[in-house]
Amino acid sequence: MASHEHNDDHDHPHHESHPHGVQEIEPGYYELMESAVRELLIERKMIGADEVRRQIEVLDSRTPALGSKVVAHAWTDPGFRKRLLANGRKACEELGISFYDDTQLIVLENTDKVHNLIVCTLCSCYPRPVLGLPPDWYKARSYRARAVVEPRAVLAEFGTQIPDDVEIRVSDSTAVVRYLVLPVRPAGTEGFSEEDLAKLVTRDAMIGVIPVQLHAGSAA
Amino acid sequence: MSQAENIVIRLPNDIGGLAADRIQRTDHELAPWEKRCHALADVLDFRKIINTEEKRRGVEALGSEWVGKLNYYERWIVAFATILFQKGLLTPADLAIRMDEIQKRWRDEAVLAKRGD
Amino acid sequence: MKPAIQAAGVSFSEVVFAFGERPLFAPGDTVKVMTRSPIGHYRVPMYLRGHTGIVEGVVEPAQLDNEREGFGANAGGKRHYYRVAFPLGKLWQNYQGPSHDTLYIEIYETWLERS
Repeated sequence: MASHEHNDDHDHPHHESHPHGVQEIEPGYYELMESAVRELLIERKMIGADEVRRQIEVLDSRTPALGSKVVAHAWTDPGFRKRLLANGRKACEELGISFYDDTQLIVLENTDKVHNLIVCTLCSCYPRPVLGLPPDWYKARSYRARAVVEPRAVLAEFGTQIPDDVEIRVSDSTAVVRYLVLPVRPAGTEGFSEEDLAKLVTRDAMIGVIPVQLHAGSAA
Repeated sequence: MSQAENIVIRLPNDIGGLAADRIQRTDHELAPWEKRCHALADVLDFRKIINTEEKRRGVEALGSEWVGKLNYYERWIVAFATILFQKGLLTPADLAIRMDEIQKRWRDEAVLAKRGD
Repeated sequence: MKPAIQAAGVSFSEVVFAFGERPLFAPGDTVKVMTRSPIGHYRVPMYLRGHTGIVEGVVEPAQLDNEREGFGANAGGKRHYYRVAFPLGKLWQNYQGPSHDTLYIEIYETWLERS
């Protein structure tokens, strides 16, 4: 009964519009709804005329590149790493990454004994201030339903094999805390600059579904 | 537990541990309206007009059929509209009339643009 | 229970804490998730109800109850969330993996009882 009714894989757009914002196709029903709600709220002075526009700029500025910088800095600066693990939000703020909401950040350290991955089974909680918006698969049914039950099988579907002697920790976000995985620094990167280290760190490694690899070969 | 109980007791989004297929690593670039919708959600939360938890509850309240058939941002905007009605900040007529006006505006501009070619 | 407070070597007279001001549980405590079935809004997934875990951390400061927040409460009645660890082998009957695999999740104080 339940398994196919709640089709949370349904994240593709119902109505295609030009990818660069120039409308060639008539706005769909839900786009009309969004525009109408926004216009009415602005007219009634419940929100300011520029607030949505500004928040789009905020969102556009938050990408996995920020998270990569945090990881690379933690790999090269032991003091920062310690502060990051003690209070993730505060440490990000040290680097100028503001948190525009009331969430906290716990950074989860991967080691040779522990592998972390993050999920939000109930919705799509994700460390947006430091990683940007989550990919569709993170918000879809399969990942959310299975990551807490069979993390090893889920990781295998991403091409990640974790040996049995390594503890898997799945963190399910439900409230005010968000998570970021601090991946293991790959071997062979001794002497790399922080900039070059950051280039290796992908969004999916900071979710915890793949490791950071020296050669991007199989990592997607 | 009967189905009539389970369908109310288990929220449509509470899927941890339920049956599911292989992961498909899908992603898409947000349409402009989706990004505006996300930004609107943040602004509504900052202003505590609709806080983030109210949004979540509003999406849950759509019920399993709507949750299943609407995509991510469609669920959000319908939830926002409903919550705004419940709070007396907008009425269904306000919204419907404005949606029609915007559609008309778009069509009129499209006609003008065509004439200009 | 009225603990005495000491600061900077000076001992204050006994201080009574307001409801919710101090966390009920501490890291290392064994806690059980209650088994009630609320409708309308909840943030404790059904897969957790009735299970026993160990408190790994206390989220500070005290926060709003997100079940109330979902219905418009924006202030008041703050209590603590706890990051609680649940061995996956105990959560799921047919867990395929070693016994040290663990789930961590935040749970509001009103959902937990000492076990």
